[in-house]
Amino acid sequence: MSSTTRTQSRGAIVLFVAPFLVMFALFFVAPIGYAIVESLFAVKSSGLGFGPPEEVFVFFSNYVTALTSSSFLESLGRLVLFSLIEVPLMVVTAVGLALLVDSAHARFGKAFRVIAFAPYAVPGVIAAILWGFLYVPSTSPILQVLGGVGIDISPLSSDTVLFAIANIALWTFAGYNMYILLASLSSIPRELFEAAKLDGAGEWQITWQIKVPLLRPSIILVTVFTIIGTLQLFAEPLVLRPLTTAISSDFTPNLAAYNQTFAQGNPNLAAAMAVIVALIGFAFSFGFLRFVNRKENRAW
Amino acid sequence: MSTRHSILGRVAVVGVASVGLAVALAGCSTGDTGSEGPVEITFQSWVPNIDQAVDAFNESQDDIHVTLETITAGPDGGYAKMLSAVEAGNPADVAQVGYTDLPDFLVAGALEDITSYVSDSEDLFTPWQWQSGVFDGKVYAVPQASGPLVQFYRSDIFEEAGVAYPTTWDEYYEAAKAIRATGSDRYITAFAFNQAPWMVGLAQQGGAKWFDTAGDSWQVDIDGQDTLNVFAFWQKLIDEDLVKVEADFSSEWNADLQNGNIATWISGSWADAILRGTAPDTAGKWSVGAVPQWTAGENASATWGGGSASAVLKGSKHPKEAAEFALYLNSNPDSVSILTSIGAGWPAISDISEIASLQDDPTVFDFYGGQNIWEVAAASDAAVDNSWRFPPLWSTLTSSLTDNVKSAIDSGTSLTDAVAQTQSDMVDAMTQKGISVE
Repeated sequence: MSSTTRTQSRGAIVLFVAPFLVMFALFFVAPIGYAIVESLFAVKSSGLGFGPPEEVFVFFSNYVTALTSSSFLESLGRLVLFSLIEVPLMVVTAVGLALLVDSAHARFGKAFRVIAFAPYAVPGVIAAILWGFLYVPSTSPILQVLGGVGIDISPLSSDTVLFAIANIALWTFAGYNMYILLASLSSIPRELFEAAKLDGAGEWQITWQIKVPLLRPSIILVTVFTIIGTLQLFAEPLVLRPLTTAISSDFTPNLAAYNQTFAQGNPNLAAAMAVIVALIGFAFSFGFLRFVNRKENRAW
Repeated sequence: MSTRHSILGRVAVVGVASVGLAVALAGCSTGDTGSEGPVEITFQSWVPNIDQAVDAFNESQDDIHVTLETITAGPDGGYAKMLSAVEAGNPADVAQVGYTDLPDFLVAGALEDITSYVSDSEDLFTPWQWQSGVFDGKVYAVPQASGPLVQFYRSDIFEEAGVAYPTTWDEYYEAAKAIRATGSDRYITAFAFNQAPWMVGLAQQGGAKWFDTAGDSWQVDIDGQDTLNVFAFWQKLIDEDLVKVEADFSSEWNADLQNGNIATWISGSWADAILRGTAPDTAGKWSVGAVPQWTAGENASATWGGGSASAVLKGSKHPKEAAEFALYLNSNPDSVSILTSIGAGWPAISDISEIASLQDDPTVFDFYGGQNIWEVAAASDAAVDNSWRFPPLWSTLTSSLTDNVKSAIDSGTSLTDAVAQTQSDMVDAMTQKGISVE
């Protein structure tokens, strides 16, 4: 390759990559940088407060406020609890669905794929509104029928509200995750199954010994997506909040940040909260990846 | 410590000023002939159809021409837009601002003192509504409309239960028991744990005065005895299963209004339209009465979340003309008639005899069995305590109160503890903002 073509190709690379880099810098890096800067300031008034307020640099004071606020710490704890419920539930369901649809005995496989995927096309807020109707006794046909036979359930009570939200998230995303796993399943060479059958393996053995181990990278991907998704829990509790006493305005860290910005008028503290959530998401995702990718002694 | 305010502010000014220049240049071409033509002012509002009132003002005289700029409702982003325009030095002249939000605008230094232009007209307005725009003796806004509290009730259900309309809260408690006995799903009302303005209104009606100023400091008295009494009363109703703990404006609550599971609703006078829209099949069964009293024979009232005013924004080039428009819009009988007919709320002026739709309104009155419900609203409006003050950080107050009440109900702790917690939350929030609290 001559030096001119190399320069030309370098020019082409810059040309093709530039739109991405510009957008990435403008809409990803810049807002993060802005949030970090904002989190180091605070707005102060004085006296009756009637006069222009002043924005002052306060170092990590907003972080201290967030991390010493019992309600914010509770919301973090609640989020961890929610992840513990949601992540295993989601991964097991998505893998189960994918294996069922992919199995040789599956009937109506194509129709089922579409049906399972359909909820993903429903916007999260709409999904939460729909489920909100189903969770309140006076508007829910399901709860009314159950109530009629003496089973009184209130999904939005404080004992069950996390499961109620987990159910909405599961309903929305299980089909989507199933698709990721199905794509991976369909790329497994069919010869492997035939060879296994010739060696006398049954469906169960093929599933456990061939399909699941080969799905490993996709399962890890789905798990990381789900961890990140659960940490961003926002729309469902926001929509369900008016319906129940069990959801406060700082139920999750994201909701707390939203509340600080739009109700409490303290975007600086909200920025600090957002940075904390981002750091936790970073730690969880990379911690999980490190855990499953250890060189020796792999998890499975 | 360093200030960064000025740098960001300057960048914003440059950006907005160039937009403003373009607008000004465009304005020139539409026949603005300097001192000879009318003074041009802009008015920002989100009240649907308020253009009718603006047009009427423009037609009424030749000296001032108002351009309406329809914006997003204040809490949904309209206020943020106004405040950033003030900071950039290019605000609208007149803006729609809620009574509860005026203090926050003052905190942001965003309001023009219009005392010298409008103070002569104080007598035209209901005292408490006028006072909502007065701070430290200076007038910052002309009141437009509000929602004085009244009680909507199903007279047929009261008849069925065999109880008279409760004029005191003691009678209300007895009525609650009687109505509860008429059906396993039926309650006298919903305890709307989600609705801070409603709870604040009940406390105000109970004689509480949460905020006041003393010199350069705020006095905060959210957990005073009057408030505790009010919340202890509702605690008793909840504990004895005499009210339904339910969010208002929820689908469940709508259903309960329609099927008569909820027999009363204490709300702002504007709630009549909501009731007619939500439960049209119950037409003719509703009536409206005054809110029950804590002391028999008294006449204490309050409002649902204050009301709405026209304020002149800091930086307006024509504060005098802006104030003149604000005054006309909200006090001229023809203008107020238009505002009332488009559903702006209960008018802020005290003499409503010239407002035709408040004298006779068959579509509304028929729903209430022919009752002139506006007489009740007028009496309620006149009885609101005019020393009540809304504080800065109103939205902090409402979210804190709602959260604390929810958590009390959820965990079975007392509502009076929730009120005490709200007091400490609010004092903390104000102090943290640098606002002085006594």
